[in-house]
Amino acid sequence: MADASQTDAKLVESETTETDAVAGVAVGLSAVLFSLSVAAMFERVSLTGSLLGLPTVTLLGGLLTALGVAVVAFGAGSRLGYVETDPDPSAGLVAGFGAAVPWIVVGGSVASQTLALGTAVGVVAGMAVGGVAFALTVLPREDVGSTLPLGSLLALTGLVFLTGVIGPAWVWELDWAQQAAITAEFLIPVATLFSALYGGWASAKAYGGFGARGRHMGAYVLVYLNALSIVAFLFILVAFVVVQGIPGLLNGVELGLGSGPQTTILGVSVTLPVSVPFVMNGVALFNDFQGVLPAIVGTVWLVLGAVVLAVPLGVGAALFLTEYADRGRFTQVVEIATNGLWSTPSIVFGLFGFAFLIPRFGNGKSLLSGMVTLGFMLLPLVVITSREAMLSVPDEYRDASAALGVSKWQTIRSVVLPAALPGVVTGVILGVGRIAGETAPILLTMAGGTFVPGSQTVDVLGSFQFTSAPPFVANPALLEATSALPYQLYALISAGVGASSNVGNADEFRWATALVLLVVVLSFYAIGIATRYYFRRRLKHT
Amino acid sequence: MSEKTTQQTQTAQPDADPSPTTTTGETVEQTRDEWTDYEFRGETKIAVEDLDVHYGDDHALKGVSMEIPEKSVTALIGPSGCGKSTYLRSLNRMNDRVSSARIDGSVRLDGREIYQDGVNLVELRKRVGMVFQSPNPFPKTIRENIAYGPKKHGDLETGLLARLLNRSDADERDELVERCLRDAALWDEVSDRLDDNALGLSGGQQQRLCIARCLSVDPEVILMDEPASALDPIATAKIEDLIDDLAEEYTVVIVTHNMQQAARISDQTAVFLTGGELVEYGDTDQVFENPHSERVEDYITGKFG
Ligand SMILES: Nc1ncnc2c1ncn2[C@@H]1O[C@H](COP(=O)(O)OP(=O)(O)O)[C@@H](O)[C@H]1O
Ligand SMILES: [Mg+2]
Repeated sequence: MADASQTDAKLVESETTETDAVAGVAVGLSAVLFSLSVAAMFERVSLTGSLLGLPTVTLLGGLLTALGVAVVAFGAGSRLGYVETDPDPSAGLVAGFGAAVPWIVVGGSVASQTLALGTAVGVVAGMAVGGVAFALTVLPREDVGSTLPLGSLLALTGLVFLTGVIGPAWVWELDWAQQAAITAEFLIPVATLFSALYGGWASAKAYGGFGARGRHMGAYVLVYLNALSIVAFLFILVAFVVVQGIPGLLNGVELGLGSGPQTTILGVSVTLPVSVPFVMNGVALFNDFQGVLPAIVGTVWLVLGAVVLAVPLGVGAALFLTEYADRGRFTQVVEIATNGLWSTPSIVFGLFGFAFLIPRFGNGKSLLSGMVTLGFMLLPLVVITSREAMLSVPDEYRDASAALGVSKWQTIRSVVLPAALPGVVTGVILGVGRIAGETAPILLTMAGGTFVPGSQTVDVLGSFQFTSAPPFVANPALLEATSALPYQLYALISAGVGASSNVGNADEFRWATALVLLVVVLSFYAIGIATRYYFRRRLKHT
Repeated sequence: MSEKTTQQTQTAQPDADPSPTTTTGETVEQTRDEWTDYEFRGETKIAVEDLDVHYGDDHALKGVSMEIPEKSVTALIGPSGCGKSTYLRSLNRMNDRVSSARIDGSVRLDGREIYQDGVNLVELRKRVGMVFQSPNPFPKTIRENIAYGPKKHGDLETGLLARLLNRSDADERDELVERCLRDAALWDEVSDRLDDNALGLSGGQQQRLCIARCLSVDPEVILMDEPASALDPIATAKIEDLIDDLAEEYTVVIVTHNMQQAARISDQTAVFLTGGELVEYGDTDQVFENPHSERVEDYITGKFG
């Protein structure tokens, strides 16, 4: 009977106690420190400034110290029996190595730099300190082993910040490379980041009461923080470009009826109710505000042209390889060749366009040469992903269709292709992401420069002409020289400050160009993802 | 049961071989003489003669001859790998799709040889339909699944062009869908969600949908390869009832690894044993209660699988 009630007690989680709360707060503290360090790394939090009324570095130091003390205290409390936990006999080798690495760094740096004992002594001291940390982790019971070395590391780091040994003005000149130096701006966020990860790991283990459950919690927190940091980096990157690009983009914006330029939409001439000169103008001498319209239009046509060229060819090739050609030497060779093409540097494709296409397309740089070059770049990825997608269509569908007496081509068209479409679209999305941002091939096959005159805005739809000689249609716009956003951005950056005379603030102009490029590429993504969603839904639902 | 066993041992005296897996031609020939003159009721729908199938060097089916009477259920049983599926797939030339397969011998459908030049595979497979082991509806709506075959054969025009020209066969299509689903005993369960994706149905419903899809092109023969092996007992029972009904109009040939199932639903049973031989074929009651071959007896009583 007594046994049963004991098992019951273990089976049912005991209610949250004060000690659990301590461990929980420690986990939360680690998350806060983690976010602060990421923010500091991107200068969203100033290290020289203050936060919550305290100097930032002092605050970080204080939080780190508190976290370290809490972790050690929890471990000690558990060892002495004040806290009810379920520890294993040892924290294990992985935890041992995990604790040894930061201590090797700390021991080595302190011995060789702070105490100025030289590199050799530094290495020995680092190993010795790391060895002690390893032993202290592996030998004692898990509750002490997984808290004491890490907790004291946190406390040490925190105290170094608190006492100002490493303050905002700290610099470590590296002698082995003349101009390299590690500054506080770099060291403090990085040290805080790693400390926060270690602190989160140790306190999550403590929160889980050590043992199997504790390890699970520890791993969970680590994985979660990692995923969070990836999303955070992505978000910060985009936010950075947006914040820097907005002023240039909004330069001279006007709202109100009749303020925008005149355009024709479906044959009707309308005056847009909004004017955004940056995306509606090219560059001209008498413009009040300069813009990048030619490059935007060029980029859009470039991507469309490449997709129109590469998708039918690529899907067709994939179809032949999966459905018609027997698997063997030939398909293997084609597979290797396409993989090789996909990893070919873009400048090589550009060179091909420059040397082969330009002489054949009117002997001048042109939109068409750019389209074809980028089309060839996109082709291998379309082939690879379409092939993958078609191979993953179950053979059962093909059997079922054949058993109804339906021919192979009809089966491919009505069953295989629809089932493979989402995969094909995924490939195109990835490929467009690559080619839309490509600079080198455009440099070699299309014109463009720092500031592109508005006259270079291509009007592909408006310049179709019928001719008396074959092929009976012509489109001079395709043979015009024009620009694209990535190349213009590159030209703007390499032009340096000298560009300012033309556009007022060259820096704003650059960032705004980058922002527009980002928006254009993300719009292509959005279109692709929406298309894929549509095809997937048709396969799975309704 | 024991009584029958002793009786059988006596009658099968000549081939009382200690090793039941023996494959000497003599043993098989001797028992075959006893059952090949069996008379089935009904006209012969499919006549198979000396059918040999090789996959590369692998001799998967050895000299099989049997006649399948129309509007009845013929069960094929035997251990895994003995060539049941291979045999079934030879009847509508699905083996043509396997590049390593080589087929010799003769298969006649209503007296017409199907292994000869000039046979229209589209027509053959419309007349001899097939249902597979795991349910394989297309990732399309229930309605589209059933209309698929007739549409591809040009018997139904429901495309955009047909609609624009006011020649759409949407009504015929819906009639066909309803008839096939009723015949497959699925109509009551899905009539209110014909435009839902077929992959949302349960396994048993999916398999009945596949049967309905097979009926949509108006077949005469339905081949089924272990159609219930992936289903739970209730879904299996429904499929079995359905097969019983189908046999009134169609010639059903079904592979099953479940002997009780074969005994329950079939009129004739063919027993294949390892090595791709047809060891015995006859009226189901006779095969199960009084087999001529000792090896079949051992297989059925579970001594050898
Ligand atoms: N597509 C194929 N390619 C090569 N060998 C096959 C193929 N299908 C079946 N076989 C071989 O033919 C023999 C009979 O297989 P099968 O007809 O599937 O048996 P069953 O359906 O009775 O289990 C097996 O030895 C199998 O390995
Ligand atoms: Mg089989």
